[in-house]
Amino acid sequence: MQVDGLAIVLRPRPMAEAADLGATLVRRHARSVWGTYLPVHAVVVALALCTVEIAGWLPGLVIFWLKPWLDRSLLFVLSRAVFGEGTRWRDLWARRRQVWGGQWLRTLLWRRFSPWRSFTQAIDQLEGQRGSARRKRRAQLLHGRRGAAGCMQLVFAHVEMALYLCVMSLLVWFAPEGDAREVMNWLLASEGTVESLLVATAYALVVGLLEPFYVAAGFAMYLNRRVELEAWDIEQEFRHGFR
Amino acid sequence: MRLDTLHTAETPEGIALSLRPAGLVARGLAYLIDFGIRLGIFMAISITVGLLGKMGAGILLISYFCLEWFYPVLFELTRAAATPGKRVMGLRVVMDSGLPVTPAASLTRNLLRAADFVPAFYGAGIVSMLWRRDSKRLGDLAAGTLVVFSDQVSLHGEVPVAEPQAPARALSAREQAAVVSWAGRARRLTPERLDELARLAEPVLGPGVHGASASQRLLGVAQWVLGRRGGAR
Repeated sequence: MQVDGLAIVLRPRPMAEAADLGATLVRRHARSVWGTYLPVHAVVVALALCTVEIAGWLPGLVIFWLKPWLDRSLLFVLSRAVFGEGTRWRDLWARRRQVWGGQWLRTLLWRRFSPWRSFTQAIDQLEGQRGSARRKRRAQLLHGRRGAAGCMQLVFAHVEMALYLCVMSLLVWFAPEGDAREVMNWLLASEGTVESLLVATAYALVVGLLEPFYVAAGFAMYLNRRVELEAWDIEQEFRHGFR
Repeated sequence: MRLDTLHTAETPEGIALSLRPAGLVARGLAYLIDFGIRLGIFMAISITVGLLGKMGAGILLISYFCLEWFYPVLFELTRAAATPGKRVMGLRVVMDSGLPVTPAASLTRNLLRAADFVPAFYGAGIVSMLWRRDSKRLGDLAAGTLVVFSDQVSLHGEVPVAEPQAPARALSAREQAAVVSWAGRARRLTPERLDELARLAEPVLGPGVHGASASQRLLGVAQWVLGRRGGAR
């Protein structure tokens, strides 16, 4: 990676502050991020909603399960954004094999259960090591930082749940006067197709809003870890100063 | 312009202060810790006053009210300006001008947690924190406060001893700082990485002793920058 090309200021930060740098990155490149992510997300959500024919709880589970795969498009956009590059749909499409293909088992099985998925995602997707080299690399990055990475994921899991409940409660808020209780029962207790679709759509909305921030937080923490391990901040300063 | 998370506040004297606003992850964890503590206190109270019957229930309700609304205010007005959860995460509450938080502002920001709670489970607060550069929630906006990181992360160790050596050209303050922080990391980095970085600074390295490695020579420059001068030279 060309450290001097980075369009972010590196310095040793607490891990939680690095996560905020990720949010800054998402805000600055909001157009690139959602412009390329929402089409992918929409297709996945549409397919997931079709599974309501099988069982009412399935669409939500499918979206949840495919999140690590969705994250791959986001990391692609963000890894360009740190160099100040915008991403259009055609850039993503041109690299679709590399971004969407490969590592299927890892993405959909092991990584799904990883408690620090977005922190280690860059190793899997961007660094290109394999086998024991990759294992070693991950252990090195996680060493002493498992707590911080796990806590970040814990916060985002809670935030996701909170926002989901927000969307649901908004539905109840806008229910006709006096019918709030019935609307709530209808949404949560009954097993009809429409209710299941509504619940799954609410979840999909929240994932669409929050997932970029989660991936960016993990990626920024990964960059911060490289500042700690490899003094990238000093390399950045040296390359700027002593050209 | 490179992206950064800093918030600049200007003092009346015209000095720019860089504050480091804390966002969702740090404050979310601080909230979870505080929530645990408040829950613990509440349980302890409910066990002790459970013996008092109806009056106990009254005391319990009052204590719940106080815990909900005054627990953060109380802690934010201490010297640390942070609840225990914030303190664990290395945060403190300040006015957005960088001044210590005032009682009125602390009360405002905590009473307006109700506004952040809308429509459920702090939805408005979360969205506001994600969306704003300075990560203020609605209560912070109303009170003009900011939650900032107070602890600095230092990767800096001792600068290794070396023969002081003048750089080939005058270094700007920023370059001097970079050289010293490079030298301060000497014990954290592998020698290979240290040398790789030192070679980037080749243009400013003086001639040095014949055969000395780039990192040896740059360590000398770091000693020079720190104000040490060799006896003979």
